[in-house]
Amino acid sequence: MKLTLQIWRQAGDTDSGHYETFEVDQLDAGMSILEMLDRLNEQLLHEGKEAIAYDSECRESICGTCGINVNGRPHGPQPHVTSCMQRLRSFHDGATVRIEPLRAGAFPVKKDLVTDRGGLDRIIAAGGTVSLMAGTAPDSDAISVGHDQVERALDFAACIGCGACVSACPNGAAVLFTGAKITHLTMLPIPAIERNERATYMVAAMEDEFGPCSLYGECVLVCPQNVPLSAIGSLNKERLRSLFHPRI
Amino acid sequence: MSVTPDTGATPVTLNKPELPPQFRVSARRQKRLPNWGLKAVMAITGVIGALFLAMHLFGNLKVYTGAEHFNKYAYWLRHVGEPLLPANAVVWVLRVVLAGCIVLHIVSAAILWVRGRKARGKFSAKRRGGLRSFEATLMPLTGICIALFVVFHIADLTLGVQPLASETFQEPTDTAAFAYQNLIASFSRPWSAAIYIVMMVLLSIHVSHGLYTVVSDLGALGKRLRAVLITIGGATAVFILLGNASIPIAVLIGVLS
Ligand code: HEM
Ligand code: SF4
Ligand code: FES
Repeated sequence: MKLTLQIWRQAGDTDSGHYETFEVDQLDAGMSILEMLDRLNEQLLHEGKEAIAYDSECRESICGTCGINVNGRPHGPQPHVTSCMQRLRSFHDGATVRIEPLRAGAFPVKKDLVTDRGGLDRIIAAGGTVSLMAGTAPDSDAISVGHDQVERALDFAACIGCGACVSACPNGAAVLFTGAKITHLTMLPIPAIERNERATYMVAAMEDEFGPCSLYGECVLVCPQNVPLSAIGSLNKERLRSLFHPRI
Repeated sequence: MSVTPDTGATPVTLNKPELPPQFRVSARRQKRLPNWGLKAVMAITGVIGALFLAMHLFGNLKVYTGAEHFNKYAYWLRHVGEPLLPANAVVWVLRVVLAGCIVLHIVSAAILWVRGRKARGKFSAKRRGGLRSFEATLMPLTGICIALFVVFHIADLTLGVQPLASETFQEPTDTAAFAYQNLIASFSRPWSAAIYIVMMVLLSIHVSHGLYTVVSDLGALGKRLRAVLITIGGATAVFILLGNASIPIAVLIGVLS
């Protein structure tokens, strides 16, 4: 198949950027969008031009490194799928596809499709580690965590930190991400000990760089890990709760 | 420091090293007016507003019990608690509380709106029809319309400011109120009735999304609890819409006169 690509080119963080149009031919519907970019880059290098910069790592939906806006949608047209797993069969032969970086005020573009998503790391860092002197190893059954509870915690722990939710949000908020990170720790007994401190610091770091939530519900449509909207209510609960239970 | 975990199991000692400075959240980074605080203010003032609307609806529906009863209710509102309280005391308390809520609500909304635009950056997000995207997008617009409507409504039926009020507007006296006559006179003007009907639609959109937001802002997270409260919010909005909007319609078609 053949596609016309309008791709965002930006030389560096001070450059204002523009779209550049490319034609790519002999594509396979089973290729991923990133493989298509690889094909295009080969073509560009062959012509002695500069390749398009973009991020990826695992290419199997587990690391959260990839992430581009395809036709205005974070990750691409298929819901709940990372860019690295989006297949070209979503497009008609001969279609025009617009590819740009994950847009958000807090994600400055470094080059072409590469953004700096360090703001998300700074939220995580503000939460600190779960660092406890737990003494000798406790009996394996001393603190029981039920199966359902673990499954629920894992629903939130599934977040891969890709930042698609921020880019989808009309307010540029990172509330789904932060809610997922805070909630999975709150649901387990040892990390729950520091829940109030963690909520205070992580929410402060989040609000420092990201916007407020108005509950548009756009984030959950693109989240590749299906993090539920409950993460948002949970984050608000943890922050309000920390007012009444100052632990540390 | 010794801390007992929530499970009540063995005490655990916290031994948390200071974070390296680049990762520490210093006091400077904490916003003086944090978003979660502003959202809580909006939620509380919004709920007070919704409770007021429910009470106001209850009063408005008395219009169907006839002029005498309705005017008596309007008179009672101004004289409730007498002689223990001075005349108009309760009405003034309500006015001050509501005005305070409206100011807090609008100021918080404006700050959050500006912060949202800033965090969004240059490139707007395409709406893909999230769960409540349409209603959320409408919030500032419906909010501004409500603020303008409140001004119009007070000028029309409380203060009798011309030309917004009807020509036959009568001020309440020490012994009687003319709320019924003023209401009929106002709604007999089709443009005024139309404003009231359209505004009730906008108001109920604002309230239905607002009450949904409140649930999440105040920390309810479960799907089931959310569903219950969304239903309550939606039902409140529908009652406000149907109950209030029925009155100008009843006047226009001649059921009330
Ligand atoms: C007077 C003019 C008003 C303006 C300008 C206004 C504006 C807004 C805006 C912009 C939001 C969305 C905030 C966000 O999520 O980012 C909002 C939320 C809300 N509004 Fe209003 N509004 C007004 C009046 C009212 C009234 C009369 C009520 C009473 C029913 C009300 C109830 C609510 C509720 C319950 C929320 C949700 C609060 C939350 O939890 O975030 N508003 N308002
Ligand atoms: S919540 Fe979903 S969309 Fe947001 S960072 Fe985590 S995985 Fe990505
Ligand atoms: S490259 Fe790892 S999730 Fe896409």
